[in-house]
Amino acid sequence: MSTLVIRAASHLSPAGHGNHRTGLRPWPAEFQTSLEQGDLENLQWSWLFSSDAQRFARMDWLSRIGLLAVELLEANFDQADPALRERTGVCLESCTGCLTTDARFLDTPRPSLFTYTLPSTLLGEICIRHRLKGPQLCLLTADGSGAQALSEAADWLETGAADTAVCLCAEALSADGSTALPPAPNGLPWPAWRADALLLGRGEAPSGSVAAHGSVTALCRKLCIDKPSS
Amino acid sequence: MGGTLAIPGLALAGCGALTALGRGLEPLRAAIQTNASGLRITEAFAARGYQSTVTGRVPDEHRMPSVSPGATDADALAFHFASESLRQALASLPEPISAIPAHRRAFVLSTTKADLLAFERVRRKESVSPAARRHVLPALLAEDLAATFDLRGPTQCVSAACISGLLALQQAAQFLRRGQADLVATTGVDLLSHFVLAGFTSLKSLDPDGCRPFDRNRVGLSLGEGAGTILLVRGDLAPPDGWRLTGWGTSNDANHLTGPSRDGSGLALAIHRALAQANVKPEQVQYLHAHGTGTPYNDAMESLALQSVFGEHTPPFSSSKGLLGHTLGAAGILETILCLVAAQLELLPGTPRLIEPDPVAPDSLLRQPRPAPGLRCLLKVNCGFGGTNGAVLLEK
Repeated sequence: MSTLVIRAASHLSPAGHGNHRTGLRPWPAEFQTSLEQGDLENLQWSWLFSSDAQRFARMDWLSRIGLLAVELLEANFDQADPALRERTGVCLESCTGCLTTDARFLDTPRPSLFTYTLPSTLLGEICIRHRLKGPQLCLLTADGSGAQALSEAADWLETGAADTAVCLCAEALSADGSTALPPAPNGLPWPAWRADALLLGRGEAPSGSVAAHGSVTALCRKLCIDKPSS
Repeated sequence: MGGTLAIPGLALAGCGALTALGRGLEPLRAAIQTNASGLRITEAFAARGYQSTVTGRVPDEHRMPSVSPGATDADALAFHFASESLRQALASLPEPISAIPAHRRAFVLSTTKADLLAFERVRRKESVSPAARRHVLPALLAEDLAATFDLRGPTQCVSAACISGLLALQQAAQFLRRGQADLVATTGVDLLSHFVLAGFTSLKSLDPDGCRPFDRNRVGLSLGEGAGTILLVRGDLAPPDGWRLTGWGTSNDANHLTGPSRDGSGLALAIHRALAQANVKPEQVQYLHAHGTGTPYNDAMESLALQSVFGEHTPPFSSSKGLLGHTLGAAGILETILCLVAAQLELLPGTPRLIEPDPVAPDSLLRQPRPAPGLRCLLKVNCGFGGTNGAVLLEK
């Protein structure tokens, strides 16, 4: 009997970037400080990939790190059957969403910024790049852990609403955007920038595999960070 | 899926609304019957150079907090709007729905920007109450509403552009299907603000004279605001003659961030998914409530999508954006409420502000309300930025 399986996992944060196969890799040394300070302005697609992403430079921070996380899954959707892409869903969860872009748009109301003042714009960017047409969901939660997104994506697979699901958790909060926020629950800081992605499907679970339940952030930590780099 | 318990029921007694027309369902009934528009020139937005100041703004007399005194700060407008619709919906619930315990009552919030007015004030370094500041984050607005109304089951906050409301209804149905709750309060809320007017002005998407959905000469949309709540209950608890949410579907155009696909294939896909889930054939749909924003591209795309799904037998359809304006994250829920109110009146809603139908729109476009005794199957669709499409099917 087939079960829900994690086919790939990826992670980006100030600590580095990688996937379940590569483990965590460092950012370019010259940008390490700015990234650690939460400045994603210089984040480049070409640091990670030789392929092209023409739209990347015009995207907001949330869409940039979300799209990078999905690319790191190495899912090769482009080579997939169009019918599979039609049955691939994308489920996004975030706490602070596009607050960074909201703040920027209020300062400078430009149409190119307004487009990114919706967290679900990231869904669109992912679907445009990978031509995915399956179920869509964007959830905003207080902890941004991805527990809700994982549960909903798993439900798509169990009910047959999708055959494959991209489950993504992303935060891209600038220091400027964070000034608009109330105190965080439990006195903890609001989440720093990070993106975690899982590619979920159905199939035979290999021995030693990780069960697809809990939170996306915890699973990606286990699969991408705790794993020794190869 | 399948079986009585798996089919969530919609109780019309459990609806609430705060819109440009005022408080409650009665103003909606009157407007549907007369095909009236709630859009007005909004002085509060004058002198800013926006492309249009014709909006569906909630009247001043309904903008002050009416929740129990001291329960919230006076500036927490998103909380107030949502609370008003929740209060209406939860009042006078019939047995056995009223006996559902708090821990079996879930909450799903639909919004694009939550308390955007509070965010604007924070950025201007103006005074903002602690409550309003919490509601800059949609998830905290959802948590506070759930706590205030004693909805102690699961809470979820959906934000997916203009299909948020239909997604929230879908998620509420999922809670019921999965046995996570027996009642789900599903609320949509969004506020008019300089932020959204500046945004849609920057995209040149507004009609200076007010929107004219599916009109040959339409040039853009009109923004609105408000809140709506629909209560969904477990199928066996719903009134036997009530409406049931039997199908839902979403899709992505995978084409463009702000423009709809030119061929309508994405919306058609979402409709097909909703129909398939409910095991309903296209010819069984008796009425369709369109997204119908009044922008040239959206309405043309919808016309193509309808022709693609229904062929020459497109059911009667109409848009309510000329009645309430585009209420963004609240649209899916408020427009579904409009459908239910119209059905109770045995009417199909017309398309307020439509003057000359677009010749490319299917002939079944409704300019005026039409008597519809025996309506038993209707479809509601919305589309949004990011290429998202949503559809829900209601049956009785």
